Amino acid sequence: MERVVPKPPVASRRDLDLGYRLTLAFFVIAPTVLVAYKLLVNDYSLSKILPRRDFSVTLTMNLDGHDGRANVETFVPRSDENQVIAETRSNDVANMQVRTESAGANRISVWSGASVPDETLIVYSFGVLPTGRSYRIDPELQVPARYPSALSSYLVGSEAIQVDSPEVLQTLRKIGADEGPLLHRIQKIYDLTSGFPIRPFKGMTDALTALRLGEASCNGKSRLFVALARATGIPARLVGGLIMTSGSKRISHQWVEAYVAGHWVPFGPTNDHFAKVPERYLVLYRGDESLFRHSSDINFDYSYNISSKMVPAPEARTAFGAFNLWALFDRLEMPFGLLQTILMLPVGALIVVFFRNVIGMPTYGTFLPALIAAAAKGTGLGWGMLSVIMIIGAVSIARWLMQRLHLLHSPSLAILLTAVVASMLLSSLAAEQMGLSQLARVSFFPIAVMAIAAERFYLSLAERGVRDAITQLTGTLVVVAACFVVMNSLALQILVSGFPEVMAYVVAANLYLGRWIGLRVSEYLRFRGLLGTGVEA
Amino acid sequence: MISAFLAKLRVLLAKRESVYGINRRNVELVYAHNQRGDYPTADDKDLCKRMLAECGVPIPRTLHVCANLYEAHLAVDSLDAYDDFVVKPANSSGGNGIIVIKRRNPNGTWEGSGGKSYTKTALQRHIANIVFGAFSNDEADKAIIEERVNFHPILQELSGDGGDLRVLVLKGIPFQAMLRLPTTASGGRANLHQGAIGVAVDIDSGKTGQAQISGRNLEIHPDTGKQLSGIQLPHWVRVLETAKAAAAAVPLGYLGVDILMEATRGPLVVEVNARPGLEIQNVNNCGIGSAMEKGIRVPTT
Repeated sequence: MERVVPKPPVASRRDLDLGYRLTLAFFVIAPTVLVAYKLLVNDYSLSKILPRRDFSVTLTMNLDGHDGRANVETFVPRSDENQVIAETRSNDVANMQVRTESAGANRISVWSGASVPDETLIVYSFGVLPTGRSYRIDPELQVPARYPSALSSYLVGSEAIQVDSPEVLQTLRKIGADEGPLLHRIQKIYDLTSGFPIRPFKGMTDALTALRLGEASCNGKSRLFVALARATGIPARLVGGLIMTSGSKRISHQWVEAYVAGHWVPFGPTNDHFAKVPERYLVLYRGDESLFRHSSDINFDYSYNISSKMVPAPEARTAFGAFNLWALFDRLEMPFGLLQTILMLPVGALIVVFFRNVIGMPTYGTFLPALIAAAAKGTGLGWGMLSVIMIIGAVSIARWLMQRLHLLHSPSLAILLTAVVASMLLSSLAAEQMGLSQLARVSFFPIAVMAIAAERFYLSLAERGVRDAITQLTGTLVVVAACFVVMNSLALQILVSGFPEVMAYVVAANLYLGRWIGLRVSEYLRFRGLLGTGVEA
Repeated sequence: MISAFLAKLRVLLAKRESVYGINRRNVELVYAHNQRGDYPTADDKDLCKRMLAECGVPIPRTLHVCANLYEAHLAVDSLDAYDDFVVKPANSSGGNGIIVIKRRNPNGTWEGSGGKSYTKTALQRHIANIVFGAFSNDEADKAIIEERVNFHPILQELSGDGGDLRVLVLKGIPFQAMLRLPTTASGGRANLHQGAIGVAVDIDSGKTGQAQISGRNLEIHPDTGKQLSGIQLPHWVRVLETAKAAAAAVPLGYLGVDILMEATRGPLVVEVNARPGLEIQNVNNCGIGSAMEKGIRVPTT
């Protein structure tokens, strides 16, 4: 019996598909060569781009000026070898001018105005990229007999730092800090002050009071440290700043620096830091100063809000050379995190492609799960998912109500969008009433992304029925979670930030998947009868 | 032990080669043999019917095509002459928007296949909805009114409501076929996803084999109680010739041809599909790869 067969199609054709193979090879080899070039020729090591913790600090000041003259000043940080200050922004305050001036080693920002209304809000923010540092002091090092004249002010007393007080000198002798090498003396002073019980007293304590009480807050301990150090001939000064822990705070911190062999070496008698300063310590000013000064006839309040994230080191940013995206984003006053999100979007899309074409999980559109995951970065995954479900709920109810009205497609979608907006705002209001601040932030979820999600859900509800729509919703949420995990993976972010050319690998992966003809995981299930006991004819 | 496992694995891999997933269907069959630009032509049932008719492929008679909203009343007026007909959108999938009219009621209204009556106004509104794009995502569409096919008695008796044949054709050679039978549960639709029965059909002989509904095997039609397997479908040689002729008439190298069996005229092509589904493999318990390898017996004439 003669048979004809439709030729088994492309097997041979694919072998000859040179164009495809060359394209794929290009997108694999080109980035590999670039990365290798950077690493080998340009001495571009991965350790240089290892992540640092980047803090962003927002100082919010409220003042009631009663429409009169008002003046507010505070110390703002400056960059030095231990901290890089960037992205400094301050808001436009109606009726007030701001100027920043140098005062010795410090920088002061002054806001002033002739008729300042009540409820005036000043917002000043900056980013900090700190480096912690510790010092080793040579135990043989002696206390010098003379210092350069520029240091003389760090050796004399003041009203609150009573260097010449007999009690201070007596204490020096008692603890044995009046003789011996520098390290020995400073160790004794440190042991005394750090040994005092901490008293959470908010006001100012002078050196003598701290000594007499035998207990003190950070500023009392620091003043006593400075007084004892100066009395024994070591230049020392107070340092004021913030301990950057995430959240909102009003409490500043004080510690000290002692001049040792040409370096100002930090000591923290309150939190037990000897000759070192932790990464989290932000220096705002040096000297015995008060952080804020303001006109006496105004109501004044302030708070610092601190958050942190991991970022590539500055060396990674400069590695872009002519193609300096970071500088562009800084000029446009766009947050660095946005650049990271944008760079990770193609990776997210690749994850979606993988789930759709290899696993066979249905989702709303190709990019939507990646977009939702990117949007969820601001709110966190859980709240992001919750807002998607809430939007879908609002869409379903609105659709159910509109069904009998037989409206055309586009106007129905416009009504749905209104329902989405209304439900987001209402739930934010309700959440705020209940004190759920995270849920209240759901309305910050990008509305455009939510509108697209609503439209997709509506379409699948209309075209494929409730069951398929819910399957697709579930698939979408699973893929959103996967995208979220991958897109927020620090290692990947650092890799893409440091070597943006690895984006070509994403293209290569898509080229591969674009010709991948394997069975999807879901199809193994669908055709299990054929794959298991199927009779081969 | 290990060698037995490897042998098993080889069998599984061989079987996997024969089963086509969506990825492989798209790359090796659809993209390799069909130009994307031709999909709209194939998907538009009106254009497709014109192409088929030009090449002499038998199709159900088109009674009227309405492409403009203001012509909807003309379309309805033209229906006065007919007692039974089918109204369908030119561009819709899954049987959406199709109304089958069975007979004329004494009061002048029509009765649909589900027993629902339609007034002239109701039909006019439905036609207007089709043209407006209610079944094609707001894209302007055409409403096709065509004859209601009298099914061949064998098919009429099998399901009580006819059914259609799906024949897969690659490069002009038909290689796999199935019969799709509507049920009360599927709402009269011959779509497998909506609960229609899929019956395996031997490509060489036109004899039915095993039957499936929503992935489960079954022996008899739930509505009529008729045995589904072992039935010789009528005019099989002509069915294959018709499928070949349809494939030659449209610019697609790989396609699914949907055929109705008319009582006296035999096979009529209702539509072609540029991306035919994969469930036919489960229905026939045979992967597309195996079916293509096996091919078809050259009919002895």
